[in-house]
Amino acid sequence: MEEKVINTRKQLYDNVTKWMMNNAIYLVLLALLVIIVIISPDFISLRNFKNILVQASTRVIMALGVGGIIIAKGTDLSLGRQVGLAAVISASLLQDIKYEYRMYPDLPVLWIIVPILIVMVVTALFSTMNGFVVAKLNVDPFIATLGMMVIVYGVNSIYYDRPPYGAQPIGGLDKRFTGFAQGSIHLGSFDIPYLIIYAMIVIGIIWVIWTKTSFGKNMYAIGGNKEAALVSGVNVVVCTILVYTLAGLLYGLGGSLEAARIGSATNNTGNMYELDAISACIVGGLSFNGGVGSVSGIVTGVLIFQVIAYGLSFIGVNPYLQFIIKGLIIIIAVAIDSRKHGNNK
Amino acid sequence: MKKSLALLLVLALSISVFAGCGKKAVETAGGGDLPTIGVTIYKYDDNFMSFVRRAIEKNAEGSATLVLNDSQNDQAKQNEQVDLMISKGVSVLAINLVDPQAAATIISKAKDANLPLVFFNKEPSATDMASYDKCWYVGTTSAESGIIQGELIVEAWKANPEWDKNGDGILQYVLLKGEPGHPDAEARTTFAVSTVTDAGIKVEELELQTGMWDTVKAKELMDTWLSKHGDAIEFVIANNDGMALGAVSSLQAEGYFTNDKFMPVVGVDAIPDVLTKIEEGTMIGTVLNDAANQGKATVDLSRNVGQGKDPLEGTSWILDETKAVRVPYVAVTMENIEMAKKSYE
Amino acid sequence: MADTTQEIDNKPFILEMKNMSKSFPGVKALDKAMLSVREGTVHALLGENGAGKSTLMKCLFGIYNEDEGEIVFNNKRLKVSSAKQALDQGISMVHQELNQVKDMRIMDNIWLGRFPRKGPFADEVKMYQDTAKIFKELDITLNPKQKVRSLSVSESQMTEIAKAVSYDSKIIVMDEPTSSLTEIEVNHLFRIIRSLKARGVGIIYISHKMEEIKEISDEVTIMRDGKYIATRKSNEVSTDEIISLMVGRDLTHRFPVKTNQPGEVIMTVENLTSLHQPSVIDVSFDLRKGEILGIAGLVGSRRTELLETIFGTRAKKSGVIYLHGKVIKNKFPKESIKNGFALVTEERRETGIFGVANIIFNAVIANLKRYVQPIKILNNKKMQEDTAWVINSMSVKTPSHKTRISSLSGGNQQKIILGRWLLTEPEVLLLDEPTRGIDVGAKFDIYELMIELGAKEKGVIMVSSEMPELLGVTDRILVMSNGRVAGIVNTNETNQEEILRLAAKYL
Repeated sequence: MEEKVINTRKQLYDNVTKWMMNNAIYLVLLALLVIIVIISPDFISLRNFKNILVQASTRVIMALGVGGIIIAKGTDLSLGRQVGLAAVISASLLQDIKYEYRMYPDLPVLWIIVPILIVMVVTALFSTMNGFVVAKLNVDPFIATLGMMVIVYGVNSIYYDRPPYGAQPIGGLDKRFTGFAQGSIHLGSFDIPYLIIYAMIVIGIIWVIWTKTSFGKNMYAIGGNKEAALVSGVNVVVCTILVYTLAGLLYGLGGSLEAARIGSATNNTGNMYELDAISACIVGGLSFNGGVGSVSGIVTGVLIFQVIAYGLSFIGVNPYLQFIIKGLIIIIAVAIDSRKHGNNK
Repeated sequence: MKKSLALLLVLALSISVFAGCGKKAVETAGGGDLPTIGVTIYKYDDNFMSFVRRAIEKNAEGSATLVLNDSQNDQAKQNEQVDLMISKGVSVLAINLVDPQAAATIISKAKDANLPLVFFNKEPSATDMASYDKCWYVGTTSAESGIIQGELIVEAWKANPEWDKNGDGILQYVLLKGEPGHPDAEARTTFAVSTVTDAGIKVEELELQTGMWDTVKAKELMDTWLSKHGDAIEFVIANNDGMALGAVSSLQAEGYFTNDKFMPVVGVDAIPDVLTKIEEGTMIGTVLNDAANQGKATVDLSRNVGQGKDPLEGTSWILDETKAVRVPYVAVTMENIEMAKKSYE
Repeated sequence: MADTTQEIDNKPFILEMKNMSKSFPGVKALDKAMLSVREGTVHALLGENGAGKSTLMKCLFGIYNEDEGEIVFNNKRLKVSSAKQALDQGISMVHQELNQVKDMRIMDNIWLGRFPRKGPFADEVKMYQDTAKIFKELDITLNPKQKVRSLSVSESQMTEIAKAVSYDSKIIVMDEPTSSLTEIEVNHLFRIIRSLKARGVGIIYISHKMEEIKEISDEVTIMRDGKYIATRKSNEVSTDEIISLMVGRDLTHRFPVKTNQPGEVIMTVENLTSLHQPSVIDVSFDLRKGEILGIAGLVGSRRTELLETIFGTRAKKSGVIYLHGKVIKNKFPKESIKNGFALVTEERRETGIFGVANIIFNAVIANLKRYVQPIKILNNKKMQEDTAWVINSMSVKTPSHKTRISSLSGGNQQKIILGRWLLTEPEVLLLDEPTRGIDVGAKFDIYELMIELGAKEKGVIMVSSEMPELLGVTDRILVMSNGRVAGIVNTNETNQEEILRLAAKYL
């Protein structure tokens, strides 16, 4: 009888630990928020949460791109540079015609969606090449995308640094374009920034693709067990390439919105964004071993980093210390994850 | 075997194509008896240096042959480039250091080859300058940009008493600092504020954080600060124009610069985008780092010493006691905007 | 219960593999092998390791192309070139190492590669219903939406069987399906097998467990050395007869003459239990100087785990190890090596060789200390000498010391790895399946070496699944069953039947 009681208590303890392990990232996010609020209670304001969500919007779009690749057991170091290319091209095509220092002085006013689509096609092409090199030529994704990262930076710099104005930040963006990213929908006294809406739409679409289509399921299967996918007749090469292509489309969109959000772009825009995006994915429960991960995990991962960046600045934590906290969270998240999946010897 | 041959061929072809392009860009002027100036730029895609580079090219036309190098922000690369130019037999070196501490190495290389040496834009230490009689410097006084920014603030503050929104007679400011430890960032931060206080204006620092010269970081910091302090902020001081643009973008999203809602923002560099902002009235001023004259002075000195003449022969420049030509900074506001625009023609 | 002879003979053949031959460089893996399976029956395929069972199955699935022979399936000549094509034709396999995507749900795994669609989307409802229907038919009570990772081995196996059924398979191959199942799970599996039989499916059942074979199979086919030996009705054949058909060979010339003499006890293991179960439980034995101790047992009897626990790659929970009468801990491999232990692993490609490195590197890597000179630079001459010793003493066939190890044959690789550990001059050598996958000649060299080590008063422990080599080389045999010691027998007083009986003791 007594033994039984001990057993149930132990079981409860086990269940609680397990639950905490499985939901560790959400708990981390919660803990961070609680700490920040304790230190500075005025952090609780609609304004702050809106700011965090807006800043997270473009990042979540990029993270979802690389997230798919990580689920398919790849990685993409060229993310940041592709975002930079997208930002520069879209900015150059959408400068205000009254701005004196235009890259294309004779360019007519374009329908805003046209340049965005153009850059999405461009980055999708580069990403498709990544996918081809990885899936067809069997180059390790780390190496393939490392190469692409450097190539895209070169391409972007050539595009960026040329007459008449040389290496100048591409500014003076068309009001329609900046408004497209910076504006909001007004619902009475409440306004929802467009960026949050775009991010929600992308999150929704990606969630449907990942969980409701054969393509999404095949992506998980390839990452989880390539051999099994192959034996079951999944076209691994095509599917892998498409995963990269999809990522490219998201980088293009993310890059354009980033340019519009900032109001200018340089060839260094997006530098190192891949590390933020990959860290967010990993903290959000994706594994470099592939096959696991969810849209909600990635969204949470991105939010965690945004809360760190914003919240810690808000309470005035030394920026160098912020780096340390960020690094610790990455390591702890992955350690928890590998305990969860690890096989004990 | 065949495959690798084909690959090699493609590689060789592409290298020769690119090499062809490169050459055209590098050697601008014809040979003859003109002195050859070996120039290194610390980083081609730095927006300010790209204007200095254009000024150098323009001024050298017909009077000197240029060998231009991009040191890609890498001092080791720059040292190699210097070695290469010395062995190519240039008549003078014009060096834009990556790392000012590395001046001694460059000086000893020049000494060994008995070549005259002109540093520009990044200043070696006084000891290094004194160690070689045939070396000169063209640049500015770091402190000066801060002082001029400070003067700009003082003048504007006094002219607009309504900017003291809470009417307490104290100027509440936030400051976006460049990379900590960078001489310009430190000097601008210190002198901009001290100039204001020296003029008898009381100030209060609400926030001071590093935006790492970066537009995105600055925008996000500004988002945070606006949420935290709102209209308590009376002035935004940025160490460079890139960060000032980020702040403006954040302010615009908050509804500033429409319907009487205003916030004075100042920067340094006078990049084209900011000139437009000044014309629009969304920034009150910036400080022009005179790229055209820095380029001109660099070429003038180099050409003279390269031909064995006195460095100042036929020019209107003056050398100070450290063998340096100091090109002055200029405050840019609505009143003299045309002058600033001219420097980009 | 198995069907009567009459009933079996009335059923038509669904699969006939005739005169199958397949050669690899140096080995004739299949030599006119045959297998004929009737629909609605369970056909056990028996043979020792290396008898050619898995090669025959790989030919069936198109992974290998037979050199000679023909496969008739469903009265048609079968031509497939991948497992997927075989699957589409109605031939599937439930693997010993299950090939599943662990982080996906059961139903995703079953319909992978052919998800039902509804417009652009995968039709989850249909997937769920179809899976549930098959589960119901097979009396499987799992939730199709559960993740595969959360399943036990037997449960994943059931989902694999369900997948085979979903392809409407006419032939299902089961490779050692009960090797890690409990008795209750085995009974459930057998119920499923019987319901498959009732659907007219032919099952090829590969196993070493005689009782099981007698219980579930209708016919047995025995293979040896790549050849077809016999087919019998299960209810007409005795276990003894099956074993003698499987072994049925002259053992005298396959093993060198034994010259080692076991002496005093060198190591004693008492009540050893490993930390993470299922694994080794309460194992005690001793090892003598100059003795070769064999460890026998079925797949899953935790023989490898025993070696790993002794060597320290697997954590111990309790128990004591004495070496020369003194207690030693062997907590980490490094410590064990210092204590004079060496472990040659079974999976040499994964845990043994450095494939891209050359022979010298592979020979000396475990023992670099030996070559360190005063200024930390390795003594190249000495490394060369030692490598030469390894190559000569084990007659490794290689063009030079600098050859990449991966370009050598499996047998020669194994010799280099053995040599590597011999260079550490171990007192106790732990060998895990040292002759798996290598040819007869190389096996003989390795046996010779083991006996020679015995003669030099070392202690050798050898895990092996090959009965003849256990009987031919060792002095005593420890039989493991389900993590426990089922018995320790003297080699010259025992026989295969006794060992098999012991191996099943704790199942």
